[in-house]
Amino acid sequence: MASSQTTTTEDRAAGHARRQAELRKRSSGRLMIFGFLSPSLAILLFMVAYPIFSLIYYSFYNFSALRQTTMKPVGLSNYTFLLSDPELWQRFVFTGKFVFICVTLQMLIGIFVGYQLQKNFRGRDIIFTLLMMPMMLSPVVVGFLWRYMLNSEWGIVNYLLSSVGLPKVDWLGQTNAALWAAAAADTWMWTPFIVLLATAAFRGIPETIYEAAEVDGASPAYRFFRITLPMSAPVLFIALILRLIDSFKQYDLFVALTGGGPGSSTETVSYAVAKTAFSYFYTGEASALAVILLLIITGLSMILVRHLTKMGEKY
Amino acid sequence: MAEISLRNLTIEFGDFKAVDDVSLTVKNGEFVVYLGPSGCGKTTTLRCIAGLVGATSGDVLFDGVRVNDLSASERNIAMVFQFVSLYPHLRIKENIVFPLKARGVAKAEIARKLDWVTEVFKLGDDLGRYPAALPPGARQKVALARAVIRDPAVLLLDEPLSAIDEQFREEMRWELGHLQRQLGVTTIYVTHDQREAMSLADRIVLMNNSRIVQVSVPDRMFFDPVDIFAGQFIGSPSMNLIDLEPVSGGLKLGGSDVTLTPERERLPQWALSSARPLKLGVRPINVHLVDDPQAGVALPVDDVFSVGRERFFSFRIGDTIHQGVDKRRSNSGSEGRVHFDPDGFLFFDAQTGRRVGAEDAA
Amino acid sequence: MTNARTSMIDLATRWLILGLLIVYTIYNVGPIFWLLLSSFKSRMDLFSMPPKLFFTPDLSGYQSVFGVGAAKDSASAVGVFDSLVNSIIVSVSGTALAVFFGTLAGYVCSRFNFRGKGDFMFFVLSTRMLPPVAVLVFYHLMFARLGLADTRFGLVLVAIFANIGLATWIMKGFFDGVPKEVEQIAIVNGYTRMYAFTRLVLPMVKGGIAATAGFCFIFAWNEFAFASILTTTQAKTLPVKISAASGATGIEWTQICAAGVVLIIPVLIFFYLIRKHLLMGMTFGVLGRR
Repeated sequence: MASSQTTTTEDRAAGHARRQAELRKRSSGRLMIFGFLSPSLAILLFMVAYPIFSLIYYSFYNFSALRQTTMKPVGLSNYTFLLSDPELWQRFVFTGKFVFICVTLQMLIGIFVGYQLQKNFRGRDIIFTLLMMPMMLSPVVVGFLWRYMLNSEWGIVNYLLSSVGLPKVDWLGQTNAALWAAAAADTWMWTPFIVLLATAAFRGIPETIYEAAEVDGASPAYRFFRITLPMSAPVLFIALILRLIDSFKQYDLFVALTGGGPGSSTETVSYAVAKTAFSYFYTGEASALAVILLLIITGLSMILVRHLTKMGEKY
Repeated sequence: MAEISLRNLTIEFGDFKAVDDVSLTVKNGEFVVYLGPSGCGKTTTLRCIAGLVGATSGDVLFDGVRVNDLSASERNIAMVFQFVSLYPHLRIKENIVFPLKARGVAKAEIARKLDWVTEVFKLGDDLGRYPAALPPGARQKVALARAVIRDPAVLLLDEPLSAIDEQFREEMRWELGHLQRQLGVTTIYVTHDQREAMSLADRIVLMNNSRIVQVSVPDRMFFDPVDIFAGQFIGSPSMNLIDLEPVSGGLKLGGSDVTLTPERERLPQWALSSARPLKLGVRPINVHLVDDPQAGVALPVDDVFSVGRERFFSFRIGDTIHQGVDKRRSNSGSEGRVHFDPDGFLFFDAQTGRRVGAEDAA
Repeated sequence: MTNARTSMIDLATRWLILGLLIVYTIYNVGPIFWLLLSSFKSRMDLFSMPPKLFFTPDLSGYQSVFGVGAAKDSASAVGVFDSLVNSIIVSVSGTALAVFFGTLAGYVCSRFNFRGKGDFMFFVLSTRMLPPVAVLVFYHLMFARLGLADTRFGLVLVAIFANIGLATWIMKGFFDGVPKEVEQIAIVNGYTRMYAFTRLVLPMVKGGIAATAGFCFIFAWNEFAFASILTTTQAKTLPVKISAASGATGIEWTQICAAGVVLIIPVLIFFYLIRKHLLMGMTFGVLGRR
């Protein structure tokens, strides 16, 4: 810069300029990292870190947001109370069942449909967009839509059932039927996601690999189980974990579809957090439950992130 | 092992004829190389024999039995692909035994066969590794091991060496030839590299524009090409091709004022009196730059260059550059005469490109 | 003979597969079709048994969503239209800001190595994993204390936070696809890193930015949990308003269905526009980079 005018020989000027440039580059790099990250970091600290630390703090107090009562420290009793509460265990069991049914159905159907749709054909883009439509809806709309279709008296589902001679089902009035109804809605919404990922994974397998397998005398089924599935396993694993996490924290769908009912039999863990916090206003207890939920989700997320990082290096 | 026959095989992709009326029989245990420029239909032919591409018309026969309707997995063929086609998620050992497992071969038999190929291909150290950990050459060796482990009726090789480093390729080529003779398996090999073809084949099938140009043993391919394409495709550096104009007392080299004479170049009588225009094909090894001022003809020499121990030179006839071998005692610039060795003369019909000899000219 | 048998089995398998695909397609498309159909039904037709495929279309659902026509004078209808406006304001501005911040962070994560980068990336990603209700327990208090409750500004803040992780990861993926030489050459030629970023790199990832914006918009547009807890009257978004439509007078199905259709239309358009990047968006930029 201007400093080069003060030096006498060109050599020294060049050296100086280079050093300056070096310095400028390094500091501009640091400046850039700082400048570019700080807004995100600020938002995340304020919207994630601060709330989570506060939750942990509140979880050791007996306190209600509604009544503005003084906060009474209670140690671990929120946790011990929750963990000894059979109702909470019921919610975990229900959530577990829901997650298991959803993830199993979605993976199986998604892999099957994805396998059939991997080939290029005319109108593929349009068909894909159409198939993806359930995923585009707001979960609340999905919940209401299924609630509407599953109405025991005038719903289309029961109408179709009875028109083929099957008995009508009180879908949302019985715990088990409601579980399957919720699973059907969630599966309806999210199977396209698995289809999307599975198709991409399958299409990533080079054609020559299949040709080699065919020449090697492998039957279509053998090819599928020994070549297609294992080679797309890393991508399918991402899909699996994402669905595990998302279905585990499912909340919106139940608000609209079952409202947690009949009784409180279709309340997921998320639902229970919301109910404790915003219906009963047991803020301390809700915080403790939220912390438990967070721990589980964080565990699952860490598996995913480790896997994603590995994938990122590979691709 | 089997004898493979193609009968009037034609393969079309839409409007494009990839293979046009090809007939050929590959004898039991024979090593046949399909040679030709890219897009000539050689790979398509191979894939059709494999059952990966269907024939539009014509038949594929294994030991006289028509196999057109059998899928690749039912034909008992083995194939090695141009680009590595090992299963990346399986260890080398699992890759090799894949064809046996896919067919439900008994465990003891699999173990026995695995021992055998491991021995033959010296793969002991690599069995537990994944394909990604091996260099490309070693991967193709594994692919080859996988191909031969189950005594295929025919071994199909689609440019198996083209993705391998030059240095390792020579070695693999040698090993491949050795192995084929040892196993005696009928082998069809596709390549665009004429040196590979010349060194490996029992017979070469030269293809161009979807058709077979010539089928012969490597030597005859070199010395007796049926047309200009065959003459120029085989041999490196490529055969020189020179227009000939009949003049009184000989044949003038087109674009120059040099005339080849019946005396000095021993031109055959039929060539002098040929009714149709001719082209002369002469390989660089048959064109010499010599010191003797009396020998050969005077042609402008462009450049002299060494390749290893040998010296080549390039010279000009009209606007075209040709090549020959510098036989002078020392590299003395561009001084010297160009001597054409009549033993290497090949005459072609200038219009059709077909080779012509005394009997055609009559 | 064996051939004939295998081909019989082949044929049967093919029919079975086709059958299953058809069943899935009905399952997949049927409810959407039913949603569209029902959005045009009058109250009478909605509950008719057997359900009607043909009927006189009734636009009252859409009229109430857009706050026009006969339904305008009813108080609740105006509310629905207001919530649509809220939805648009919140998701558009939330998306714009999330993409802006995410682009900056994604660039730095793609090009620099710095201490704690892995932790930062995980921290950022956690916003996508976080169960909304968990942080809501605290947001609820925080928003009330800061006067953010039931404001659009509060929801915009949430939309930024909820999408910044996705934006960062996807943008990192797009930046990873731009060769580092682009900046190196610029710097060698005496330009600053900032110049290289704004004038050279950014134009190269224009498509990526658009795709990222598409994704963030879709998520912000459909968001429910935060909006439902953090709003009471003024700032309600359309998904929240829908759930409120199941109030005292019974569920306004026509209105819900019409709102559902209105909600899906922009998403459908975005989806189609960004279909090439769908995978990237759904897997945090790890898959689908070509």
